[in-house]
Amino acid sequence: MWAYTVRRLLFLIPLLLGLSLVMFTLLHAAPGDPAVSMLSPQAAVNEQYLEQTRKNMGLDRPLPVQYLIWVGNLLRGDFGTAYSFNGKPVLDLIRDRMWGTIQLQGISLALGVILAIPVGIVSATKQYSRLDNTVTVASFMGLALPNFWLALMLQIWLGVKMGWLPIISTGQAAAPWDQRWKYFVLPVLVLTLPNIAYFTRFMRSSMLEVINQDYMTTARAKGLANQQVLYRHGVRNALIPMITVVGLQLPRILGGSVIIEQIFAWPGIGQLAWDAITRRDYPVIMGITIILGAAIMVTNVLVDLVYALVDPRVSAAGGGARG
Amino acid sequence: MSEQTTSTLAQESGRLSAPRKHQVIKRFMRNKLAVAGLVVIVLLYAASFAAPLLMTHDPNAITFGARTLPPSSEHWMGTDRNGRDVYSRLIKGGQVSLATGFAAVALVMTIGVMLGAASGYFGGLIDGAIMRLTDILLSIPLILLLITAASLFTPSILTTIIVIGASSWPGAARLVRGQFLALKGQEFITAARSIGARPSEIMARHLFPNSLAIIIVETTLWLSYAILLEASLSYLGLGVQIPTPSWGNMLRDGQSELLFGAWWLTLFPGLAIFITVLAFNLLGDGLRDALDPRHRER
Repeated sequence: MWAYTVRRLLFLIPLLLGLSLVMFTLLHAAPGDPAVSMLSPQAAVNEQYLEQTRKNMGLDRPLPVQYLIWVGNLLRGDFGTAYSFNGKPVLDLIRDRMWGTIQLQGISLALGVILAIPVGIVSATKQYSRLDNTVTVASFMGLALPNFWLALMLQIWLGVKMGWLPIISTGQAAAPWDQRWKYFVLPVLVLTLPNIAYFTRFMRSSMLEVINQDYMTTARAKGLANQQVLYRHGVRNALIPMITVVGLQLPRILGGSVIIEQIFAWPGIGQLAWDAITRRDYPVIMGITIILGAAIMVTNVLVDLVYALVDPRVSAAGGGARG
Repeated sequence: MSEQTTSTLAQESGRLSAPRKHQVIKRFMRNKLAVAGLVVIVLLYAASFAAPLLMTHDPNAITFGARTLPPSSEHWMGTDRNGRDVYSRLIKGGQVSLATGFAAVALVMTIGVMLGAASGYFGGLIDGAIMRLTDILLSIPLILLLITAASLFTPSILTTIIVIGASSWPGAARLVRGQFLALKGQEFITAARSIGARPSEIMARHLFPNSLAIIIVETTLWLSYAILLEASLSYLGLGVQIPTPSWGNMLRDGQSELLFGAWWLTLFPGLAIFITVLAFNLLGDGLRDALDPRHRER
């Protein structure tokens, strides 16, 4: 088990290098010059000035050299400094924004799971009842809602028309908590709805699968009450696949939602990514890519491990979800 | 000999013999939600093809006397800040959004199926290389990859299609690879190989047809994602560009007027996206249940 874990984790290093190479190539294959976006329009016309700026940014060197320098710095734990954002270190920028995203996405994920599990279970135990059908239709609708559209409509309805809630989050972090929670309501609502829909559908199908297993019949045959069978044997086993599904959402907690954070001016990593991309701030984009990529890859390994620990039928080495 | 191969194939899970086809259709028709999804999709595409007949105004005609009007008998869904008829733009935008989504999914599935097939059939180094590439592409949030790629090139319908296609194929590739791997070990493939069938023949004639059910379901579900992705990109200003309307850029365009109470500019395009995505999801889910009976009772 340990050897397997270490092997999986070591294997992430070449994958991360590959990821950085893909992103690096993508960024540099595109037309456009970050030096131009760094300078004021007047200064950018001056060829000499532009040349000097490129030199300072290290953009005058051949691309492979630029890449190797970047990797070398990264291996020493140096993510570089941003071109814009007042030249702050990339890692500081990411750390500052990460917390905002974790709060928002964490609450939405937790709420989604807490609400979806009971609904999914009840829906499955009463399959094809009116309740189950309603839940199914509602989940499909929840999954199809474009959440940025929902965000806009709610902003206008609850924010502007009713005046109940602030529509953007400016000043949110400084407000005392008895005021601050209001800033969370709209973004959390918008992010939670699809979570509930997705997890409910999953919990329902997981529970249905368990209900039809032989050991459930056995438990009933040995005289356990139906309720007891469902909740003692059923729910526990149905929750196991949920670990994978919820675990695989973890990267989203870190990655945030570019569009939703934009709409609510939420100071998170999604907004940082958007700003960095529109300003062609290569070091920041690369930093975010590597950190999110590492988070996603490590999560995948962890999910496989936890799954193997919880479900005795799966051995870690054979049960990996990897292709 | 080919006669014989065909009859063997008919017993395999994916390919549909006549009685099984009948069964699948029957199962599908019993699923009311899926049928509703299919009907909505047929109507949407019909509306796209008949767009010139359905539009009441020129979708790009600017009328300064009719700016930001609420819905009325003249303008069913109101007008935008340039006095353009929202209903006509919605129809035209639907044409654009559906076509863009369709083309993007065609690209996603073409790349996905080809790479997945090569990966699953040949294995070894080819498999390793392709799967590592999917590992890499799947370890970055799709939307981040999309906006990075889209922001680097001049936005247009074609860019949108290529960006979605080039970033979104890994899921489909893995699916097809898994299916090919599962089928490869079965006897009818060994039989085909023993009579000297070439790899391309085995893939095209045996593996692909037997994977078709899974591919169809995946395609349908991807059509819904693609509509959402196009809308997201266009909403961010990185997709289809104004004056060409798409549901996504209509949302972007109407956003500033929303603050002043022009709800019709946002409500209708959003509803259109919602209904389309919902219909594709219902259809895809229904197809999966109908084509894969093992999945059905879940």
